[in-house]
Amino acid sequence: MAIQIKVPAVGESITEVTIANWLKKDGDVVKVDEVIAELESDKASFELPASSGGVLKILKQQGETVPIGEAICEIEPSAQGATATPPVKAPAAAATTSAKGESKPSGSGGVKEMKVPAVGESITEVTISTWLKKEGDFVKLDEVIAEVESDKATFELPAEATGILHVVAKEKETLPIGGLICRIEMTEAAPVAEPATKQEAAATTGGGGSDKSYAAGHPSPAAAKILSEKGIPASQVQGNGVGGRITKEDADKTQLGGTAKPAEVKAQASQAPPVISSGGSRNIRKDKMTSLRKTIAKRLVSVKNETAMLTTFNEVDMKPIMDLRSKYKDQFKEKYGVGLGFMSFFTKAVCTALKDFPAVNASVDGDEIVYHDYCDISIAVSTPRGLVVPVIRNAEALSFNQIESEVVRLATRGRDGKLSIEEMTGGTFSITNGGVFGSMLSTPILNPPQSAILGMHNIVERPVVKNGEIVVRPIMYLALSYDHRIVDGRESVSFLVRVKEMLEDPGRLILGV
Amino acid sequence: MQYNVTVIGSGPGGYVAAIRCAQLGFKTAIIEKYDTLGGTCLNVGCIPSKALLDSSEHFINAKDHFKEHGIDIPAPKVNIKQMIQRKEDVVKANVDGIAFLMKKNKIDVFKGTGSFLDKNTIQVKSSDGKETKVVTEKVIIATGSKPTPLPFAPFDKKRIISSTEALTLTEVPAHLIVIGGGVIGMELGSVYARLGSKVTVVEFLDSLIPTMDGTMGKELQKIAKKMGMDIYLGHKVTAVENKGKEVLLKAEAKDGKVLELKGDYCLVSIGRRPYTDGLGLEKVGIETVKGQVPVDDHLKTKVDNIYAIGDVVRGAMLAHKAEEEGVFVAEQMAGQKPHMNYLLIPGVVYTWPEVASVGYTEEQLKIDGRAYKTGSFPYKALGRARASMDTDGLVKILADKQTDEILGVHIIGARAADMIAAGVTAMEFRASAEDVARMSHAHPTYMEAVKEACLAATANRPIHL
Repeated sequence: MAIQIKVPAVGESITEVTIANWLKKDGDVVKVDEVIAELESDKASFELPASSGGVLKILKQQGETVPIGEAICEIEPSAQGATATPPVKAPAAAATTSAKGESKPSGSGGVKEMKVPAVGESITEVTISTWLKKEGDFVKLDEVIAEVESDKATFELPAEATGILHVVAKEKETLPIGGLICRIEMTEAAPVAEPATKQEAAATTGGGGSDKSYAAGHPSPAAAKILSEKGIPASQVQGNGVGGRITKEDADKTQLGGTAKPAEVKAQASQAPPVISSGGSRNIRKDKMTSLRKTIAKRLVSVKNETAMLTTFNEVDMKPIMDLRSKYKDQFKEKYGVGLGFMSFFTKAVCTALKDFPAVNASVDGDEIVYHDYCDISIAVSTPRGLVVPVIRNAEALSFNQIESEVVRLATRGRDGKLSIEEMTGGTFSITNGGVFGSMLSTPILNPPQSAILGMHNIVERPVVKNGEIVVRPIMYLALSYDHRIVDGRESVSFLVRVKEMLEDPGRLILGV
Repeated sequence: MQYNVTVIGSGPGGYVAAIRCAQLGFKTAIIEKYDTLGGTCLNVGCIPSKALLDSSEHFINAKDHFKEHGIDIPAPKVNIKQMIQRKEDVVKANVDGIAFLMKKNKIDVFKGTGSFLDKNTIQVKSSDGKETKVVTEKVIIATGSKPTPLPFAPFDKKRIISSTEALTLTEVPAHLIVIGGGVIGMELGSVYARLGSKVTVVEFLDSLIPTMDGTMGKELQKIAKKMGMDIYLGHKVTAVENKGKEVLLKAEAKDGKVLELKGDYCLVSIGRRPYTDGLGLEKVGIETVKGQVPVDDHLKTKVDNIYAIGDVVRGAMLAHKAEEEGVFVAEQMAGQKPHMNYLLIPGVVYTWPEVASVGYTEEQLKIDGRAYKTGSFPYKALGRARASMDTDGLVKILADKQTDEILGVHIIGARAADMIAAGVTAMEFRASAEDVARMSHAHPTYMEAVKEACLAATANRPIHL
C-alpha cells in the first residue's frame, strides 16, 4: 500500500548519498513532486521530490548514508488521513529458520538467472568480493545478496527475485559483464526446514515465534543502547532473538560498514583519568564527515601519494593589468553586464601558455599521456560544504566577457550547492586563488588527473627594481604545482614565465606572442 | 574545589547519578541540605513509610490472623514509640549505607544548601553559616519535591500535617482525616487504620489512586472499606481548621451537599511540588515552569552544562524513575547513548495489599482508540494466596487485540510490587500475553496469577478458573 521512495541513481560513479536534510517530518502529509529532502553525494547535492502524495514515513534519518536504490522513506496514500497512527511494524525479518537441512519451497515459480549487470561504460569485468547470502538461503526481491567490485567502485547486488539462492560464481571469482552469478529458485514464502524447525514453529505459534512477529526488529534495552552508540538504526539489524527481536549479541556483532568500533574508543575515553580544568569548557565535539569531505580527503591523499608533485614560483607586476582594468572597467561593465576581474586575464594567459606547453595541459592514463587540444579550466570555488572545482569549457575560445560571466555563474551555483556533476568533471588545468583569503604564497595541490595547477595570491605593493631604480609596484606571487612525471622543469618554468610575461604586457594576449 | 560533575540533592536520583558518574571516571561531588543523605525517599518517604507499613501489618496479623493460624497470644498492643524508633533505626541504617557508598566511590559530600553563583560555580552554605565554593564542569539538579499544602490551610505540623509528620507521630490518632486518596494518602491512611485509628479519606476525583488503572482503584476501595476506612470520593475540601485539640474539615460533594468531619489529625496528601527554593536558578537563567525545571529529551536544561532529574523535572515522582534518569544523564556525559522508556517505569502503591502497574491503563487505551483485550485472574483462586490468607486482589493483563502484545500489567495483591518487575521485563522485550502464558511459573507462587491472567488474555483459557 505504501509507496517506497528509493535513492535514485544520480551519476555513474556515485554509490551512496547522505541525507543532508529532511524538509518534511515523519507523519507529514506531502504532495506529489513536493521536495521532501535534500540529499548529498560526494559530488553534489540534490533535492528529492515525493513520487506520490500521502503521509510520509521516514525510514532513514538525517545524516545517514544510504546506498543507491535503498528505500529512504515511505509514502502512505493519504486516504486514511494523517491521524491514523501507523502500527509499529518493523520490517518483517527474513526467516530465522535458515534452512540448513532439507528445505521445501512453498510454491515454485521457475528459476531466475542473475547475470553481471553493465555497471559502467569502461567496465568489462567485475569480481565477487563477498557473498552476503549463502547457498540455499531464502532471499527476497531487492535484498542485497552480494558485494561486487569493479576497478572503479564497489556496488551491491540486489536479488532480482524472491526465492532460494543457488550460488554459481564463488567469492573472489572474476566475471565478465553478462556472466552468470547465481540462480534464484523463485518461491512465494520462506521455506520451512523439516523436521526440526517444524516442531519449533508449532511450539511457538502465537505471538512470539512466527516469522512476521510484530516485535521483529525490536531491540532489547541493552541492544538499543549499543546500537545507538554505534549509530546503527535498528531497522538495519537482523534480529536473531525470538520473533526476530534484536538481542544484545546481535547488537554487539553488528558493525557499521565494517569500520572501527566507536563504542570501544568511547569506553577507553571514559576510563581515562578525569582532567580538572580551570573552569573553561573542555568539551569536544564529533561530527561525521560528509561524503563530500571524505572524498576530498581521499583524493588529496592519493594525489600526494601517486604523483611526483612539486611547485615553481614567479612574481607578476600587476600594474599594467590594473591600469587597463581601471581604464575600461566601467565601459566593460556597461557593455557586458559583468565586471572585469582578474580571472579573465589569468585564464586567457593560461590558455595561451598551455598551447605552447601542451604537457602542462595533459594527463596520465596508465602508460599513456593524454594531450588535450582544448583548455577546460577548472576554477576552485570555496563553498560552505567545502572546495568545489567547476569547469570553464573551451576557455581558449572564450572572450574576456564570456569568461567573466562563466566564472560568476559557476561560483554562484557552487555557493548555492547547485553545481551538477557534469559542471565539475573533465577539467584539463586548474586555477586556484588563495589571494582572496589573503594568501601571500602557497603550493597548490593537483586536481587529478590534471598535471598542473596555477596558484594566484594576494596583490601587495612591494619595492621592485625597474631599470636600475627602486619603484613601488603591485606584485602578485604565482605558484605552479605540476606533476613531474610528465612535465619537465623546463616546461613548467617556461610556462609560468610565459604567463607572467603576458600578464605584465597584456598586448601579448591579443597577439598571442 | 573543582569537579567534573556536581550533583545537587542526594535523594535516590542524586546519589545514584553521583555513583554512576564516579564509576565512569568523573570526579564527582554531591551537595545535601539535610544532615543525612538519601533525600525524601530514605528519610521521610519510601523507606520509613514501608517500615511502618510492615509494623502495622505485623500488628494486624497478630491481632486478627494469628488465632486462625493456630497461634494464641494475649491481645497485642501498639507501642507507637517503639514502632517509630524501629523506623528511625531502619532509616539510619539506610542513610549510613549511602554515606558509605559515597566514600567507597570517592564522591565528595558537601553538607549545606547549594546555590548557583554561575553555571560553573555553586555556593554551599552549611547550617552553621560556613560557605564553600564548588567549581564544576557539569551540574545535575536533583533537588526533588516537597508536599503541596492546601492554599487555604498551610501545614501547621501539629494538627494539619504532611507525610513527613505522619511518619513521626507519637500517638495513634483516634480519627485521622486524609485529604487526597492518592498513593501517599492511601499508604499512610492504611497504616493508621491498621493501628486502630478511624481513618476517613476525602478525595476530589471520583476514584482512589486515580492515575492508575480504574480496576485497581475500585479493588483498593473495596479493601479499604473492609479495613473500616471511610472513603468520600468526588468531594472538594473547602476548609480545614486547627481547633487546638482537633481539626475541623468541611467538604462539598458534587451535588452541593456539605460534609463536615472532626478528627484529631488531618493529613494533607494532595500531591508534591518540585523543590528549587534557594537554588539560585535565576543566576543561570533557568526559569521553572509550574515549579518544574524544564529539560529536553536528554534531561538537559537550557544551560548547556546543567542537567536535571527526578521529581524536579516532568514525569512521575517516583524514586526509581529518578534513579534511571540519574544513570541516563551520567552515561550521556560519558558519551554513551542510554535509553529511557518512560512508559515502562512501574508505578507502585504500598498499601496492603500492594498495587503495582506498568504500561498503559485500560482508560488510556480507550482514549487512544486502540483495540485491546483483557485477561484477569483473582488471588482467591490461587493456592499460594489461600495458604497465606492473602486472598484479596487480582492480576489484570491488557494485550493488543491483533498481535497479543502485552500493553499493560496491573496487579493489586500481596507481593504486587515485586511481581511487577516480571511485567516490565516482558514488556521491554515486547512479549505477547501468550509468550508469558507459555513460560513456566513455579508453583505455588503469587506469580502464577500473572501466568493465569496472561492465559485469560490470550484466549480466555485460564486453567484454575
